[in-house]
Order: sequence, then C-alpha cells, then structure tokens
Amino acid sequence: MRLKSTVVRQLLPLAPAGVVFLGLFVAPLAYFLVISFWSVRARIMRPDFTIANYVESWSRYGDVLLRTLLAATAIGLVTTLLAFGLAYAIRFKAGRLGPALLFVTLITLFGGYLVKIYAWKSILGRDGIINMALVGMGILDEPSPAFIYSTAGVVVTLTYFLLPFAVLPIYGALRSIDDATLEAARDLGARPFAVLRDIVVPQCLGGITAAFTMAFLISAGDYVTPRFVGGGAALMGNFIETQFSLGFNWPMGSAMSFTVLAASLLVVLAFRSLLRASFRP
Amino acid sequence: MIAMRVSDMVWLGFGLSVMLFMTLPLLLVVLFSFNQSALTSLPLTGLTVDWYRRLFALNSFWPALKNSLIIGFTVALVSVAVGTLAALALSTMPARRASALLSAVTLPVMLPALIIGVSLICFFVRFLDLRLSLFTVILGHLVIALPFVVLIVHARLATFDWAAVESARDLGASPWVAFRTVTLPIVQPTIVGAGLVALSLSLDDFVITFFTIGGGNTLPTLVWGMVRTSLDPTINAIATLLLVLSIGSTVIALRLSRYRS
Repeated sequence: MRLKSTVVRQLLPLAPAGVVFLGLFVAPLAYFLVISFWSVRARIMRPDFTIANYVESWSRYGDVLLRTLLAATAIGLVTTLLAFGLAYAIRFKAGRLGPALLFVTLITLFGGYLVKIYAWKSILGRDGIINMALVGMGILDEPSPAFIYSTAGVVVTLTYFLLPFAVLPIYGALRSIDDATLEAARDLGARPFAVLRDIVVPQCLGGITAAFTMAFLISAGDYVTPRFVGGGAALMGNFIETQFSLGFNWPMGSAMSFTVLAASLLVVLAFRSLLRASFRP
Repeated sequence: MIAMRVSDMVWLGFGLSVMLFMTLPLLLVVLFSFNQSALTSLPLTGLTVDWYRRLFALNSFWPALKNSLIIGFTVALVSVAVGTLAALALSTMPARRASALLSAVTLPVMLPALIIGVSLICFFVRFLDLRLSLFTVILGHLVIALPFVVLIVHARLATFDWAAVESARDLGASPWVAFRTVTLPIVQPTIVGAGLVALSLSLDDFVITFFTIGGGNTLPTLVWGMVRTSLDPTINAIATLLLVLSIGSTVIALRLSRYRS
C-alpha cells in the first residue's frame, strides 16, 4: 500500500505533461494515421481501409518526393557543416569572442520564422536588394527572377533559419570534450586535421546527428519557404498543405505526410549509420 | 607556430562570416523599416517612422496583436506550470528512465510543424468536434512549447543541490513548504526564462496557428497575408516589431538563466 502511494506520488506530477503529450501529440498523430487509410467520395471523408492514398502518393508525387528529399539532404548537410564549423570556432578558436558569438547565435534562435523568410525574399526577390544592386551597377539590364525562383533560394533560406538550432546540440557536445585529451594527442604528434577527425568528431557524433536530423525533418516538411522563395520549386509540404486548404482531401494529405515522414526517417537512419561507420572512435 | 596562428585566423574569419550571414538579413529588415523609399534598395533615401504609423493605423493590426499576446501568455503560463512539475518529477527518477522520457517528450520539436498542424486540425475538427478558436491554437502551441520548458528546467535541476531540500524536510517542513521556500527561489530565474522561451515560440509560430485558428489573425498570420500580396515596407515594420518581441524575451530569458553558475 505504502509502495503504491509513493509510486503514485512520483508519477502524479508527470500527469499534466503526460496528458498534453498523449492527448495533443500522440492521439492526434495516431488518428491522423488512421485517416490516411480512409477514402473520399463526393468530397466527403469516409472510414475505410484502403492503401490507395499511399499508392497515389508514390505514383503521383514520386518526383516531388525525390526533389524534397534531395533539397532536405542538401539543407541538412550544409546546415550541419556550417553549424559544426561555427560551434568548433566558438568552442576552440574564438577565445574571448566565443561567448559573444554564442550569444548572437542564441538571440537569432527565435528571431521570427516568417520574418527570416521575408528577409530573404526581400534580398533575393525580383525587386530585392541583389537585383537592385546588379541593375544599379549596370550588370543587369532588368531585374532577374533567377535568384528567387529556385531550389537554391530554398536551401539558403532554410539553412539560414535552421543554423542557430543546429549549433546548439553540436556546441553542447563539443563543450564536454576534455581539452587535456586534445593536448595529449597534439603532444604525441597528431596533426590538427587528425585531431579533428579522430578525437573531436567521434566525440560529438550525437550532436551532429541531432543537428542533421532536426534540419532534415523540418526542411522535408516545410511549405512556407518553398512558396515564398522557391517559386516553381514546390516541395512535398506545398502539396500536403493544398490537400487541407483547397483540396479538402484529408486522407490523401495524411498519406502524403506519412510517406514523407517514412522516407525522411530512412534518410536520417542512413545518415546516422554512414556517420558512425566513417568516424568509428 | 605561425601556421597555428594562420589556421586560428581562418577559423575566426569563418566564425565571423557565419555570424554576418546570421545577422545581416535581420538587420536589413530593421533598417528598411525606417527607410523613406518604398523600395528595398540601398543606399537609404532618408529615415522615417511612416511605415510604423501606417501599421498602427491598420484595422487588422490591433486584434492580431491582442490575439498573439493572449495566446502567448496563456501558453507560457500553462507550459511553465506543467513543464516545471514534469521536470521536478523527472529529476528525482533514475537517470536512464528520465532520459528515455526526456527524448520522448522532445519528439514534437523534431517533427515538421506542418504535420503537427494538420494532424491537430483533423483531431480537433473531426474527432473531438471542437470549433477552431484561440483555444485550439493555445492547445497546439502547448505541444511545441512544453518540451522546451521541460528541457530547460530539467537541465537546471540536474545541477541542483537536493541536500538543501532534504535538510528543510528533516527540520520538519512539508514537501510543499520545502518546495516553496527552498527549491522555488533557487530555480525561479530558470523557470521565468523557460516561460519567456515558451512565449517567444508561441509569438513566432505561424504554421500551427494557421491550421488551428479558424478565423481571426495573430501577428504571424497577418504577416503571411501581407507577404503573400507584396513587398510592402509595412511588413518591415511589423517584422521588426515581431523581432523586438521575440529577441527581447530571449535576451531576458538568457539573462535570467545566467544565474545558473
């Protein structure tokens, strides 16, 4: 009896958070998964058990899915590389400037998702800064839409948005590396690159994986950035969003969501094992 | 020796250029919000606050601000209460179980907001038969704000000295009194900091709001409507305002969690 009451007392404070997690995250996702097997007739959603939505996700949106995964991989890799470089510079190279660099990283963390996308739209856009400057200097005769209507615009903008989020887990991992180990390796004659490859990177694989996973998954599901700076380069997120805003085909949108998620998970797992295999400590 | 210094300078140069990449676009937005010309081009033609005046004269601005603040503060308060309780419970658990639960709790942060948004709209509208409103937006924001609060408060409690609480308990204080007079004053700055992070997340969220609000606007959905139509400098003004709100609360949050050391 007494044992039971202590267990209850231990678990009770977790209950409200559990309600939020289960009731507003797990349950909606589970229900969403169920819906993906439903069908739509005469614009009305009906309970069913069909895999038609998944088949259509692959057959009709296969090329979009591939483009999305490629873009997300590019964003994930560029973001992770830049984040690692920055975190490494803050931790080992910047000296007294380090805390200042970390502070700037942290304040840009929540500096507005839409604001950041808008900022890049006004830099890359038809009437944007780059175009105005190029026309002003006489390099271009008239503004070119080339900067904004491309996957490159999406990669730049999302990398910009995700970078501060990616720096944190990597910096966290780098912070716990013991300076003495690095010095010992150097004293024993290891070259800087060897130290980086054999000691630093293997010890922050967890942080690197977390950064890539987050950057990849968020990019794979984004629809706002492609819409504003991607122009014609519509990604899977745009087609999913359309199923809910214009198409009213929720089962289709649900199947597409889980298709992206499953494909993304495969890419992330592949990245993980590749990373682990190439940097075995 | 000289080679070392050159490599250090290269690293520092790299760090500073990434820093420029991270800050310059936002600085441009702020700069153009005060630019006289309606074109986003340099050099500036003169300083003005006209765009702010125009923004404040917009009929849709004030209700959006009000909605954003109602949602933001409710989300901050609820997620702080729920998250602190959870973090306290986790910190008294065996480390392995606690870290397993923590990684489960942070799953919503990893998922694209789009998928959280659309799964919530299906769940609310079809399964629960709820009418979409500010209330459903608050529920949606809790999903993404709570993990941050739990993580931040739990990280603080990891370095917390429980001996002080135990001695209070030994001296006859009830668990509640010990919590209020010993634990709370020590972790309070972190809790306020976590609340401000939750507030900035909520103020900044567009995607989940977009799907769960039904009618009406928050500041981000208002910006969305404006960006869709044009590059109007009023957007620079509202964007600057959003920046000040979210960066302001982040800076205060960082200040408060400095008490950590």
